[in-house]
Amino acid sequence: MLDLLSLVLVVAVKVFKKTTPNGKVTVYLGKRDFIDHVDYCDPIDGVVVVDTEYLKGRKVYSQLVTTYRFGREEDEVMGVKFSKEMVIGQEQVVPMINSKMELTPVQEKLLKKLGPNAFPFTFSFPEMSPSSVTLQPSEEDQGKPMGVEYCVRTYVAESEDQKSHKRSSVTLAIKKLQHAPASRGRRLPSSLVSKGFTFSNGKISLEVTLDKEIYYHGEKIAANLIVSNNSRKSVRNIRCMVVQHVEITMINSQFSRHVASLESREGCPVTPGASLSKTFYLVPLARSNKDVRGVALDGHLKEDDVNLASSTLVCEGKCPADAIGIVVSYSVRVKLNCGTLGGELVTDVPFKLLHPAEGTVERQRFNAMKKMQSIERHRYENSLYTNEEEDNIVFEDFARLRMNEPE
Amino acid sequence: MAANYSDDIGPMAYPMKLVSSEMVEHMMGWNIPEEHQAMVHAHWRSFPAVSKYYHFILALIYTMLMVTSLVGNGIVIWIFSTSKSLRSASNMFVINLAVFDLMMMIEMPLLIANSFYQHPIGFQLGCDVYAVLGSISGIGGAITNAVIAFDRYKTISCPLDGRINKVQASLLIAFTWFWSMPFTILPALKVWGRFVPEGFLTTCSFDYFTDDQDTKVFVACIFVWSYAIPMALICYFYSQLFGAVRLHERMLQEQAKKMNVKSLASNKEDASKSVEIRIAKVAFTIFFMFVCGWTPYAFVTMTGAYGDRSLLTPVATMIPAVCCKIVSCIDPWVYAINHPRYRAELQKRLPWLGVREQDPDTVSNSNSVTTTQSHTPTAEA
Repeated sequence: MLDLLSLVLVVAVKVFKKTTPNGKVTVYLGKRDFIDHVDYCDPIDGVVVVDTEYLKGRKVYSQLVTTYRFGREEDEVMGVKFSKEMVIGQEQVVPMINSKMELTPVQEKLLKKLGPNAFPFTFSFPEMSPSSVTLQPSEEDQGKPMGVEYCVRTYVAESEDQKSHKRSSVTLAIKKLQHAPASRGRRLPSSLVSKGFTFSNGKISLEVTLDKEIYYHGEKIAANLIVSNNSRKSVRNIRCMVVQHVEITMINSQFSRHVASLESREGCPVTPGASLSKTFYLVPLARSNKDVRGVALDGHLKEDDVNLASSTLVCEGKCPADAIGIVVSYSVRVKLNCGTLGGELVTDVPFKLLHPAEGTVERQRFNAMKKMQSIERHRYENSLYTNEEEDNIVFEDFARLRMNEPE
Repeated sequence: MAANYSDDIGPMAYPMKLVSSEMVEHMMGWNIPEEHQAMVHAHWRSFPAVSKYYHFILALIYTMLMVTSLVGNGIVIWIFSTSKSLRSASNMFVINLAVFDLMMMIEMPLLIANSFYQHPIGFQLGCDVYAVLGSISGIGGAITNAVIAFDRYKTISCPLDGRINKVQASLLIAFTWFWSMPFTILPALKVWGRFVPEGFLTTCSFDYFTDDQDTKVFVACIFVWSYAIPMALICYFYSQLFGAVRLHERMLQEQAKKMNVKSLASNKEDASKSVEIRIAKVAFTIFFMFVCGWTPYAFVTMTGAYGDRSLLTPVATMIPAVCCKIVSCIDPWVYAINHPRYRAELQKRLPWLGVREQDPDTVSNSNSVTTTQSHTPTAEA
């Protein structure tokens, strides 16, 4: 009995659905996170079910919309809006225009299950489109958080240009994310710097090497430091931190946040002539930065298991400066404090922070971990379930959509 | 008093005075007692006294302005200071401006009373009080306009972290008050310049007629301090702001192009154009209001000190005073009524005003499709 139950759970495909306020049009999506594999990107495949009698000759359109928000809503004055909405894909879904359209497995299953009133639609992200990023708002910020968002909007109208009505339109928020390439690369990022002093001879040199080039979210970063002091100053203490660099290209501004840091006096002072070899371990996590405004996150805030924004990857042959939207990068910064007069010796070592690629062993482990958290959360949510209509896709109908193979 | 006339009218007029008091044409300042005659400049005494009907019309105009200002600025202060959603640093400046405008409003009952007596009540003291109120509110209001322009420029040009925090805002507000002090305290204490009646001799302002170096330099300084500098700042910040908005729009368009946004290409252009035009409109309105409010005053004072004084008849010199009072009544409408959250709050508190504004929190944040959606009723609704 138990085995049977687990079997059903394994075969079941989770599908997200959402219905218009008037209940006539329902949109189904196979997932809400779409992965950009740098060379290609998952298509957005969905199915619309509509009450054809209700349409009375009208049509159903679907749009892929991206919204940039680069300023607080409450700061908008003089009619300036700090947000821009761009329709990056538009399709007429009902009546179907291209009946020979290639269907994805999810669409095929859904069409089979949902009958003749179901119509498929597919969007692909434009090649250059940015990843979803949310900048963490501070406590006193009201309104929508800043960042890059995507959504699929479906509406009923007479023609493409006609305005839709709230009651007959539905919006599903989705995310576009980037995953790490299958191999992590063998290059170990490192940096070697030295510092001389105005009034005394000799130099302090610092070498920092990371143990990997690409880290997965939640992984421990090991930074190996070698300090050799050939000067007459001494190193008082060492600070090591993970810096998240956020560049908001649409307003040409950037900032950085320290998402993990460590300060140590162990082995200090490094006296003249001495040297120190030491390893710092840092874990940059979203949950340890919950109250820091502006920290970039991967997508939505409501989720408990939200992680820091992944590093922005640019496909080969494209300049990183061409990237648009919000560009995120990381580095480990090490600061040596050489006393009041000596100043500081600082170096940055860049690295990438990403999700493991699909199909790798790390991915499976990661998924298992995430599932555990998700189950826990689900239990918690069910215990005090509130019907949030505003929340876009959390609607998962397991019972009706257990799409195991033909009964 | 009689001696006073004889100086101006000459010995011929004197017997006429004896015949009938109605036939005598009083000159300006006739009803000011001997000991206060010094405050009325000779220039005014060369004009016949203003008819009492002019005084009553002026009093009527001021009564209307007083009510408008009291309602407009009063509601602004009440709503901005009591509602949570409006408690931001930028809105502190709007409140500050409303406080200055209300101070200008306090002048108005004084003038109305003066108009009935046809001379300043309390003479020198009353005159000083009137002029101090006018000077603080006028100069303070002008520089607050410039500060608001600065704040908007900061907020819009760097929306991420440009916003002024509350401490900085408080310092800037203190600065506006300090800015209005030198040209209020110095003439009030008669250290430099002085306050005298002007126009119908029922309003008071700083002295721009006395023909000495001190007064002329004073007029030139106050012209630069309270007119030229704020105006230059307003122009500078709004033009910078406009440039910043254009830059952002261009960058967004470039990004849209990279993503092949063609379905809305033509629409997009229109939409972005309208943002720029909207900004230009608001900026120009504020600039235009400043010009309308203070250019007449600047013109009158500069003419008084350096130009052809014969232009400055009592009626002509009353126009600038009315102008700047009108602007103080319009201020809350320009700054606050354009504020969507203020309108929403107004709708909530005073529904009978008929302000139709949706709560900005429920309206979608986007500026193209969704916002208009909710306004257009369609068949299936």
